[in-house]
Amino acid sequence: LPLPSAGASVDELGNTLTSYDDIIGYTNYYEFSTDKNGPTRLAQNFKTSPWSVEVGGYVNNARSFSIDELKSLFDQEERIYRMRCVEAWSMVIPWVGFSLHKLLEIVEPTSDARFVRFETLYDPDQMPGQRNSFFPFPYIEGLRLDEAMHDLTIMATGLYGRDLSPQNGAPLRLVVPWKYGFKSIKSIVKIDLVGEMPTSLWMASGPNEYGFYANVNPNVPHPRWSQATERRIGEGGRIDTLLFNGYEEEVAYLYDGMDLSIDF
Amino acid sequence: MKPTRGQLITAFLCLIPLAILFFEWRSGSLSANPIETLTQRTGRTAVILLLASLVCTPLRSMFGLSALLPIRKTLGLAAFGYAALHFLVFAGLDFEFNLGWIVPEIRQKFFIQIGLIALGLLIPLAITSVQKFQRGMAGNWRRLHRLVYPVMALVLWHYYLASKGDVLIPLIYLVIFAILMLFRIPPLSKISIGSKPRWLVRLNKFLLS
Repeated sequence: LPLPSAGASVDELGNTLTSYDDIIGYTNYYEFSTDKNGPTRLAQNFKTSPWSVEVGGYVNNARSFSIDELKSLFDQEERIYRMRCVEAWSMVIPWVGFSLHKLLEIVEPTSDARFVRFETLYDPDQMPGQRNSFFPFPYIEGLRLDEAMHDLTIMATGLYGRDLSPQNGAPLRLVVPWKYGFKSIKSIVKIDLVGEMPTSLWMASGPNEYGFYANVNPNVPHPRWSQATERRIGEGGRIDTLLFNGYEEEVAYLYDGMDLSIDF
Repeated sequence: MKPTRGQLITAFLCLIPLAILFFEWRSGSLSANPIETLTQRTGRTAVILLLASLVCTPLRSMFGLSALLPIRKTLGLAAFGYAALHFLVFAGLDFEFNLGWIVPEIRQKFFIQIGLIALGLLIPLAITSVQKFQRGMAGNWRRLHRLVYPVMALVLWHYYLASKGDVLIPLIYLVIFAILMLFRIPPLSKISIGSKPRWLVRLNKFLLS
Protein backbone atom coordinates (compact mmCIF):
# COMPACT_ATOMS: atom_id res chain seq x y z
CA LEU A 1 0.00 0.00 0.00
CA PRO A 2 1.30 3.47 -0.80
CA LEU A 3 1.66 5.78 2.16
CA PRO A 4 -1.42 7.91 2.68
CA SER A 5 -0.90 11.49 1.66
CA ALA A 6 -2.31 14.81 2.67
CA GLY A 7 -2.28 18.01 0.62
CA ALA A 8 -0.43 20.00 3.24
CA SER A 9 1.74 18.97 6.17
CA VAL A 10 0.68 21.61 8.70
CA ASP A 11 -2.55 23.31 9.79
CA GLU A 12 -3.15 27.07 9.47
CA LEU A 13 -1.38 27.67 12.80
CA GLY A 14 1.69 25.70 11.73
CA ASN A 15 0.91 22.54 13.74
CA THR A 16 2.38 19.34 12.29
CA LEU A 17 -0.07 16.65 11.21
CA THR A 18 -0.45 13.69 13.55
CA SER A 19 0.86 10.49 11.96
CA TYR A 20 -1.61 8.27 10.12
CA ASP A 21 -0.69 5.35 12.36
CA ASP A 22 -1.52 7.27 15.53
CA ILE A 23 -4.82 8.52 14.06
CA ILE A 24 -5.98 5.01 13.17
CA GLY A 25 -4.38 3.35 16.21
CA TYR A 26 -5.62 5.52 19.08
CA THR A 27 -9.35 6.14 19.11
CA ASN A 28 -12.32 6.47 21.42
CA TYR A 29 -15.06 4.33 19.96
CA TYR A 30 -17.01 2.76 22.83
CA GLU A 31 -19.25 0.91 20.36
CA PHE A 32 -16.27 -1.40 19.91
CA SER A 33 -14.22 -1.08 23.08
CA THR A 34 -13.43 1.34 25.88
CA ASP A 35 -9.71 0.77 25.23
CA LYS A 36 -7.98 3.18 22.88
CA ASN A 37 -6.44 0.46 20.73
CA GLY A 38 -9.41 -1.94 21.01
CA PRO A 39 -11.45 -0.42 18.14
CA THR A 40 -8.52 -0.76 15.73
CA ARG A 41 -8.70 -4.52 16.16
CA LEU A 42 -12.43 -5.03 16.76
CA ALA A 43 -13.67 -2.79 13.94
CA GLN A 44 -11.69 -4.48 11.17
CA ASN A 45 -14.67 -6.35 9.72
CA PHE A 46 -17.20 -3.57 10.25
CA LYS A 47 -19.45 -3.44 7.20
CA THR A 48 -19.50 0.06 5.71
CA SER A 49 -21.07 -0.82 2.38
CA PRO A 50 -23.89 -0.66 1.48
CA TRP A 51 -24.58 2.30 3.76
CA SER A 52 -27.28 4.91 3.71
CA VAL A 53 -28.17 7.92 5.79
CA GLU A 54 -31.76 8.85 6.50
CA VAL A 55 -32.26 12.64 6.61
CA GLY A 56 -35.62 13.77 7.93
CA GLY A 57 -37.58 15.57 10.62
CA TYR A 58 -38.48 19.22 10.02
CA VAL A 59 -37.40 19.32 6.36
CA ASN A 60 -39.20 19.79 3.05
CA ASN A 61 -37.35 16.99 1.24
CA ALA A 62 -36.86 14.09 3.63
CA ARG A 63 -34.88 11.36 1.93
CA SER A 64 -32.12 8.88 2.28
CA PHE A 65 -28.65 9.14 0.71
CA SER A 66 -26.27 6.33 -0.05
CA ILE A 67 -22.65 6.96 0.84
CA ASP A 68 -21.69 6.88 -2.85
CA GLU A 69 -24.35 9.46 -3.61
CA LEU A 70 -22.99 11.78 -0.92
CA LYS A 71 -19.49 11.44 -2.31
CA SER A 72 -20.59 12.32 -5.84
CA LEU A 73 -23.10 15.04 -4.92
CA PHE A 74 -20.52 17.12 -3.07
CA ASP A 75 -16.88 17.85 -3.89
CA GLN A 76 -14.71 16.03 -1.40
CA GLU A 77 -12.26 18.57 -0.04
CA GLU A 78 -9.41 18.29 2.43
CA ARG A 79 -9.78 20.11 5.76
CA ILE A 80 -6.91 20.04 8.24
CA TYR A 81 -8.43 20.39 11.70
CA ARG A 82 -7.17 20.12 15.23
CA MET A 83 -9.14 17.59 17.22
CA ARG A 84 -9.22 18.15 20.97
CA CYS A 85 -10.53 15.24 23.03
CA VAL A 86 -12.23 16.01 26.34
CA GLU A 87 -9.59 13.69 27.86
CA ALA A 88 -6.95 16.40 27.27
CA TRP A 89 -5.20 14.90 24.27
CA SER A 90 -5.31 16.22 20.73
CA MET A 91 -4.38 15.47 17.14
CA VAL A 92 -4.07 17.38 13.87
CA ILE A 93 -6.01 15.49 11.21
CA PRO A 94 -6.31 16.02 7.45
CA TRP A 95 -9.96 15.10 6.93
CA VAL A 96 -11.65 14.59 3.60
CA GLY A 97 -15.30 15.54 3.37
CA PHE A 98 -17.86 18.24 2.65
CA SER A 99 -19.59 20.98 4.62
CA LEU A 100 -22.73 19.73 6.33
CA HIS A 101 -24.67 22.82 5.21
CA LYS A 102 -24.51 21.58 1.62
CA LEU A 103 -26.43 18.47 2.62
CA LEU A 104 -28.89 20.43 4.76
CA GLU A 105 -29.57 22.86 1.90
CA ILE A 106 -30.74 19.93 -0.26
CA VAL A 107 -33.26 18.69 2.29
CA GLU A 108 -34.38 22.25 3.17
CA PRO A 109 -34.99 22.60 6.90
CA THR A 110 -38.36 24.18 7.69
CA SER A 111 -38.79 27.14 10.04
CA ASP A 112 -39.57 24.72 12.90
CA ALA A 113 -36.08 23.20 12.73
CA ARG A 114 -33.83 24.51 15.50
CA PHE A 115 -31.46 21.63 16.19
CA VAL A 116 -29.88 18.77 14.27
CA ARG A 117 -29.87 15.32 15.86
CA PHE A 118 -27.40 12.66 14.68
CA GLU A 119 -27.52 8.95 15.36
CA THR A 120 -24.88 6.21 15.02
CA LEU A 121 -25.67 2.73 13.69
CA TYR A 122 -27.04 0.41 16.37
CA ASP A 123 -25.88 -3.13 15.64
CA PRO A 124 -24.51 -4.98 18.68
CA ASP A 125 -23.57 -7.97 16.51
CA GLN A 126 -21.05 -5.80 14.70
CA MET A 127 -20.40 -3.40 17.55
CA PRO A 128 -19.87 -5.55 20.65
CA GLY A 129 -19.33 -2.53 22.90
CA GLN A 130 -23.00 -1.61 22.43
CA ARG A 131 -23.81 -4.45 24.85
CA ASN A 132 -22.08 -2.44 27.60
CA SER A 133 -25.04 -1.49 29.79
CA PHE A 134 -23.25 1.51 31.32
CA PHE A 135 -24.10 3.51 28.19
CA PRO A 136 -27.51 4.18 26.61
CA PHE A 137 -26.67 3.21 23.01
CA PRO A 138 -27.22 4.15 20.20
CA TYR A 139 -24.86 7.12 20.30
CA ILE A 140 -26.71 10.39 19.84
CA GLU A 141 -25.25 13.83 19.24
CA GLY A 142 -26.68 17.19 18.38
CA LEU A 143 -25.90 20.67 17.14
CA ARG A 144 -27.84 23.90 17.12
CA LEU A 145 -28.92 24.59 13.53
CA ASP A 146 -26.58 27.59 13.16
CA GLU A 147 -23.65 25.47 14.38
CA ALA A 148 -24.58 22.76 11.89
CA MET A 149 -24.81 25.34 9.07
CA HIS A 150 -21.37 26.78 9.88
CA ASP A 151 -18.90 26.18 7.07
CA LEU A 152 -16.32 24.64 9.44
CA THR A 153 -18.75 21.84 10.32
CA ILE A 154 -18.09 18.95 7.95
CA MET A 155 -19.23 15.43 7.23
CA ALA A 156 -15.99 13.47 6.83
CA THR A 157 -15.67 10.46 4.54
CA GLY A 158 -11.90 10.09 4.65
CA LEU A 159 -8.59 11.20 6.10
CA TYR A 160 -5.09 11.45 4.70
CA GLY A 161 -6.61 11.08 1.24
CA ARG A 162 -8.04 7.64 2.05
CA ASP A 163 -11.47 6.37 2.99
CA LEU A 164 -12.11 6.56 6.73
CA SER A 165 -11.03 3.51 8.66
CA PRO A 166 -13.87 1.86 10.64
CA GLN A 167 -12.38 2.90 13.98
CA ASN A 168 -12.36 6.52 12.82
CA GLY A 169 -16.08 6.44 12.05
CA ALA A 170 -16.42 5.01 8.54
CA PRO A 171 -18.11 5.54 6.27
CA LEU A 172 -19.47 8.90 7.40
CA ARG A 173 -18.89 10.99 10.51
CA LEU A 174 -19.35 14.50 11.74
CA VAL A 175 -16.37 16.76 12.48
CA VAL A 176 -16.90 19.94 14.51
CA PRO A 177 -13.38 21.19 15.14
CA TRP A 178 -14.13 23.78 17.84
CA LYS A 179 -15.91 21.25 20.07
CA TYR A 180 -14.57 18.34 22.11
CA GLY A 181 -14.06 15.22 20.02
CA PHE A 182 -17.05 13.32 21.40
CA LYS A 183 -19.39 15.76 19.58
CA SER A 184 -18.02 14.50 16.27
CA ILE A 185 -20.29 11.44 16.08
CA LYS A 186 -19.18 8.44 14.02
CA SER A 187 -20.80 6.00 11.54
CA ILE A 188 -23.96 8.09 11.14
CA VAL A 189 -27.17 6.45 9.86
CA LYS A 190 -29.71 9.12 10.75
CA ILE A 191 -29.87 12.90 10.70
CA ASP A 192 -33.01 14.60 11.98
CA LEU A 193 -33.94 18.26 12.05
CA VAL A 194 -35.76 18.78 15.33
CA GLY A 195 -37.29 21.56 17.43
CA GLU A 196 -35.96 20.60 20.86
CA MET A 197 -32.36 20.31 22.04
CA PRO A 198 -31.39 16.63 21.62
CA THR A 199 -29.96 14.75 24.61
CA SER A 200 -26.63 13.26 23.59
CA LEU A 201 -25.36 9.93 24.91
CA TRP A 202 -22.78 11.67 27.06
CA MET A 203 -25.31 14.19 28.41
CA ALA A 204 -27.48 11.21 29.42
CA SER A 205 -24.68 9.25 31.07
CA GLY A 206 -22.87 12.14 32.81
CA PRO A 207 -25.02 15.30 32.89
CA ASN A 208 -22.69 17.23 35.21
CA GLU A 209 -19.64 16.33 33.11
CA TYR A 210 -20.81 16.67 29.53
CA GLY A 211 -22.99 19.50 28.31
CA PHE A 212 -24.77 19.97 25.01
CA TYR A 213 -22.38 22.60 23.66
CA ALA A 214 -19.05 20.99 24.68
CA ASN A 215 -17.06 23.83 23.15
CA VAL A 216 -13.33 23.49 23.74
CA ASN A 217 -12.73 25.92 26.59
CA PRO A 218 -9.60 26.10 28.76
CA ASN A 219 -11.52 28.18 31.33
CA VAL A 220 -14.19 25.61 32.10
CA PRO A 221 -12.63 22.71 34.02
CA HIS A 222 -13.85 19.14 33.78
CA PRO A 223 -13.96 17.03 36.99
CA ARG A 224 -11.51 14.51 35.51
CA TRP A 225 -9.25 16.13 32.98
CA SER A 226 -7.39 19.41 32.79
CA GLN A 227 -8.92 21.57 30.11
CA ALA A 228 -6.28 24.30 30.42
CA THR A 229 -3.61 22.25 28.68
CA GLU A 230 -3.44 19.26 26.39
CA ARG A 231 -1.04 16.67 25.08
CA ARG A 232 -0.56 16.50 21.32
CA ILE A 233 -0.37 12.82 20.37
CA GLY A 234 3.07 11.93 19.04
CA GLU A 235 4.70 14.99 20.58
CA GLY A 236 6.22 15.46 24.03
CA GLY A 237 5.03 17.87 26.68
CA ARG A 238 1.85 19.81 27.27
CA ILE A 239 0.60 22.79 25.30
CA ASP A 240 -2.01 25.39 26.19
CA THR A 241 -5.53 24.63 25.06
CA LEU A 242 -6.99 27.42 22.94
CA LEU A 243 -10.50 28.82 23.37
CA PHE A 244 -12.77 27.17 20.78
CA ASN A 245 -9.73 25.03 19.92
CA GLY A 246 -8.18 27.98 18.08
CA TYR A 247 -11.25 28.66 15.90
CA GLU A 248 -12.43 31.57 18.06
CA GLU A 249 -12.39 34.10 15.22
CA GLU A 250 -14.63 31.91 13.10
CA VAL A 251 -17.16 30.72 15.67
CA ALA A 252 -17.21 32.93 18.79
CA TYR A 253 -20.15 34.96 17.43
CA LEU A 254 -22.36 31.88 17.66
CA TYR A 255 -22.23 32.18 21.44
CA ASP A 256 -22.61 35.94 21.90
CA GLY A 257 -24.34 36.69 25.18
CA MET A 258 -24.07 33.13 26.47
CA ASP A 259 -22.31 32.15 29.70
CA LEU A 260 -20.17 29.25 28.51
CA SER A 261 -19.54 28.02 32.05
CA ILE A 262 -23.29 27.41 32.38
CA ASP A 263 -23.85 26.24 28.81
CA PHE A 264 -20.73 24.05 28.86
CA MET B 1 15.87 -9.56 59.21
CA LYS B 2 16.41 -11.95 56.35
CA PRO B 3 13.45 -12.08 53.93
CA THR B 4 11.56 -15.35 53.70
CA ARG B 5 11.42 -17.37 50.53
CA GLY B 6 7.76 -16.42 50.22
CA GLN B 7 8.72 -12.75 50.36
CA LEU B 8 11.39 -13.15 47.69
CA ILE B 9 8.97 -14.92 45.36
CA THR B 10 6.32 -12.24 46.03
CA ALA B 11 8.79 -9.40 45.44
CA PHE B 12 9.83 -11.00 42.16
CA LEU B 13 6.20 -11.34 41.02
CA CYS B 14 5.47 -7.75 42.05
CA LEU B 15 8.30 -6.48 39.85
CA ILE B 16 6.94 -8.16 36.71
CA PRO B 17 4.32 -5.46 35.90
CA LEU B 18 7.06 -2.84 36.27
CA ALA B 19 9.41 -4.76 33.99
CA ILE B 20 6.66 -5.12 31.36
CA LEU B 21 5.94 -1.38 31.55
CA PHE B 22 9.62 -0.59 31.22
CA PHE B 23 10.13 -2.76 28.14
CA GLU B 24 6.95 -1.48 26.50
CA TRP B 25 8.08 2.07 27.21
CA ARG B 26 11.47 1.43 25.64
CA SER B 27 10.04 -0.27 22.57
CA GLY B 28 7.40 2.44 22.10
CA SER B 29 4.45 0.07 22.36
CA LEU B 30 2.65 1.83 25.22
CA SER B 31 -0.04 3.21 22.84
CA ALA B 32 0.08 6.59 21.12
CA ASN B 33 -0.39 8.22 24.52
CA PRO B 34 2.21 6.47 26.68
CA ILE B 35 1.82 8.76 29.68
CA GLU B 36 -1.89 8.00 29.94
CA THR B 37 -1.13 4.27 29.74
CA LEU B 38 1.61 4.54 32.37
CA THR B 39 -0.74 6.43 34.69
CA GLN B 40 -3.51 3.88 34.34
CA ARG B 41 -1.33 0.79 34.58
CA THR B 42 0.68 1.91 37.66
CA GLY B 43 -2.59 2.88 39.36
CA ARG B 44 -4.32 -0.39 38.54
CA THR B 45 -1.32 -2.43 39.71
CA ALA B 46 -1.28 -0.54 43.03
CA VAL B 47 -4.99 -1.28 43.56
CA ILE B 48 -4.58 -4.99 42.79
CA LEU B 49 -1.55 -5.36 45.07
CA LEU B 50 -3.26 -3.54 47.93
CA LEU B 51 -6.27 -5.84 47.55
CA ALA B 52 -3.90 -8.82 47.44
CA SER B 53 -2.35 -7.70 50.73
CA LEU B 54 -5.82 -7.82 52.28
CA VAL B 55 -6.31 -11.42 51.15
CA CYS B 56 -3.42 -12.61 53.33
CA THR B 57 -5.00 -12.35 56.76
CA PRO B 58 -8.20 -14.33 56.05
CA LEU B 59 -6.24 -16.99 54.14
CA ARG B 60 -3.76 -17.25 56.97
CA SER B 61 -6.38 -17.88 59.62
CA MET B 62 -8.40 -20.18 57.39
CA PHE B 63 -5.53 -22.42 56.33
CA GLY B 64 -3.09 -21.72 59.12
CA LEU B 65 -0.54 -20.32 56.69
CA SER B 66 1.75 -18.23 58.89
CA ALA B 67 4.02 -17.67 55.88
CA LEU B 68 1.43 -15.20 54.56
CA LEU B 69 2.24 -12.69 57.30
CA PRO B 70 5.64 -11.59 55.93
CA ILE B 71 4.22 -11.85 52.38
CA ARG B 72 1.47 -9.39 53.37
CA LYS B 73 4.15 -6.84 54.20
CA THR B 74 5.87 -7.31 50.84
CA LEU B 75 2.57 -6.88 49.00
CA GLY B 76 1.75 -3.75 51.00
CA LEU B 77 5.14 -2.20 50.28
CA ALA B 78 4.88 -3.09 46.59
CA ALA B 79 1.41 -1.49 46.46
CA PHE B 80 2.87 1.64 48.02
CA GLY B 81 5.69 1.58 45.47
CA TYR B 82 3.28 1.49 42.53
CA ALA B 83 1.08 4.15 44.13
CA ALA B 84 4.12 6.42 44.55
CA LEU B 85 5.11 5.72 40.94
CA HIS B 86 1.54 6.50 39.85
CA PHE B 87 1.85 9.89 41.58
CA LEU B 88 5.28 10.54 40.06
CA VAL B 89 3.97 9.81 36.56
CA PHE B 90 1.13 12.29 37.19
CA ALA B 91 3.27 15.04 38.71
CA GLY B 92 6.50 14.50 36.81
CA LEU B 93 5.83 12.99 33.41
CA ASP B 94 2.32 14.30 32.81
CA PHE B 95 2.53 17.71 34.48
CA GLU B 96 6.32 18.10 34.26
CA PHE B 97 6.65 19.10 37.95
CA ASN B 98 5.10 22.41 36.91
CA LEU B 99 3.40 23.70 40.07
CA GLY B 100 1.48 26.25 38.01
CA TRP B 101 -0.29 23.27 36.41
CA ILE B 102 -0.30 20.80 39.27
CA VAL B 103 -1.74 23.03 42.00
CA PRO B 104 -4.90 24.07 40.08
CA GLU B 105 -5.27 20.48 38.92
CA ILE B 106 -5.33 19.26 42.52
CA ARG B 107 -7.58 22.13 43.63
CA GLN B 108 -10.14 21.47 40.92
CA LYS B 109 -10.26 17.72 41.01
CA PHE B 110 -11.84 15.91 43.90
CA PHE B 111 -10.70 12.49 42.69
CA ILE B 112 -7.06 13.61 42.77
CA GLN B 113 -7.51 14.93 46.33
CA ILE B 114 -8.85 11.55 47.41
CA GLY B 115 -5.95 9.77 45.74
CA LEU B 116 -3.45 12.06 47.46
CA ILE B 117 -5.01 11.47 50.88
CA ALA B 118 -4.81 7.72 50.31
CA LEU B 119 -1.17 7.96 49.24
CA GLY B 120 -0.38 10.21 52.22
CA LEU B 121 -1.94 7.71 54.63
CA LEU B 122 0.11 4.90 53.11
CA ILE B 123 3.39 6.67 53.95
CA PRO B 124 3.34 6.03 57.75
CA LEU B 125 2.27 2.45 57.05
CA ALA B 126 5.21 1.92 54.71
CA ILE B 127 7.68 3.48 57.17
CA THR B 128 6.45 1.50 60.17
CA SER B 129 6.53 -1.78 58.28
CA VAL B 130 10.24 -1.88 59.13
CA GLN B 131 10.70 -4.62 61.73
CA LYS B 132 12.24 -2.54 64.52
CA PHE B 133 9.41 0.02 64.47
CA GLN B 134 6.99 -2.84 64.63
CA ARG B 135 8.50 -4.14 67.88
CA GLY B 136 8.80 -0.73 69.48
CA MET B 137 5.18 0.20 68.80
CA ALA B 138 3.56 -2.94 70.20
CA GLY B 139 -0.24 -2.63 70.12
CA ASN B 140 -0.12 0.77 68.46
CA TRP B 141 1.34 -0.83 65.36
CA ARG B 142 -1.75 -2.96 64.86
CA ARG B 143 -4.02 -0.01 65.44
CA LEU B 144 -2.06 2.18 63.01
CA HIS B 145 -2.09 -0.48 60.32
CA ARG B 146 -5.86 -0.75 60.44
CA LEU B 147 -5.61 2.46 58.40
CA VAL B 148 -5.22 0.21 55.38
CA TYR B 149 -9.00 -0.34 55.37
CA PRO B 150 -10.01 3.32 54.93
CA VAL B 151 -7.09 3.69 52.51
CA MET B 152 -8.45 0.84 50.38
CA ALA B 153 -11.88 2.47 50.39
CA LEU B 154 -10.37 5.83 49.35
CA VAL B 155 -8.34 4.16 46.61
CA LEU B 156 -11.42 2.49 45.16
CA TRP B 157 -13.38 5.75 45.36
CA HIS B 158 -10.51 7.47 43.51
CA TYR B 159 -10.52 4.72 40.86
CA TYR B 160 -14.31 4.91 40.51
CA LEU B 161 -14.26 8.70 40.01
CA ALA B 162 -11.33 8.50 37.58
CA SER B 163 -13.19 6.04 35.32
CA LYS B 164 -15.05 7.46 32.37
CA GLY B 165 -18.57 6.07 32.33
CA ASP B 166 -17.65 2.41 32.50
CA VAL B 167 -17.11 1.73 36.21
CA LEU B 168 -17.41 -2.07 36.04
CA ILE B 169 -13.83 -2.80 37.12
CA PRO B 170 -13.77 -0.51 40.18
CA LEU B 171 -17.15 -1.97 41.19
CA ILE B 172 -15.80 -5.52 40.92
CA TYR B 173 -12.86 -4.52 43.14
CA LEU B 174 -15.30 -2.93 45.57
CA VAL B 175 -17.22 -6.22 45.84
CA ILE B 176 -13.96 -8.12 46.45
CA PHE B 177 -12.98 -5.57 49.12
CA ALA B 178 -16.39 -5.93 50.79
CA ILE B 179 -16.06 -9.72 50.87
CA LEU B 180 -12.56 -9.44 52.35
CA MET B 181 -13.91 -7.11 55.03
CA LEU B 182 -16.66 -9.60 55.88
CA PHE B 183 -13.95 -12.17 56.59
CA ARG B 184 -12.67 -9.91 59.35
CA ILE B 185 -15.92 -10.09 61.30
CA PRO B 186 -17.01 -13.15 63.31
CA PRO B 187 -18.20 -15.75 62.54
CA LEU B 188 -16.45 -15.63 59.15
CA SER B 189 -13.17 -14.57 60.74
CA LYS B 190 -13.24 -17.76 62.83
CA ILE B 191 -13.51 -20.17 59.92
CA SER B 192 -10.59 -22.59 59.87
CA ILE B 193 -9.95 -25.94 58.26
CA GLY B 194 -8.66 -27.32 61.53
CA SER B 195 -5.93 -29.89 60.86
CA LYS B 196 -3.83 -29.01 57.83
CA PRO B 197 -3.05 -31.52 55.07
CA ARG B 198 0.66 -32.35 54.88
CA TRP B 199 1.29 -30.52 51.60
CA LEU B 200 -0.02 -27.31 53.16
CA VAL B 201 2.29 -27.70 56.13
CA ARG B 202 5.19 -28.26 53.74
CA LEU B 203 4.19 -25.29 51.60
CA ASN B 204 4.06 -23.07 54.67
CA LYS B 205 7.47 -24.26 55.78
CA PHE B 206 8.91 -23.76 52.31
CA LEU B 207 7.62 -20.17 52.10
CA LEU B 208 8.80 -19.35 55.61
CA SER B 209 12.38 -20.58 55.21
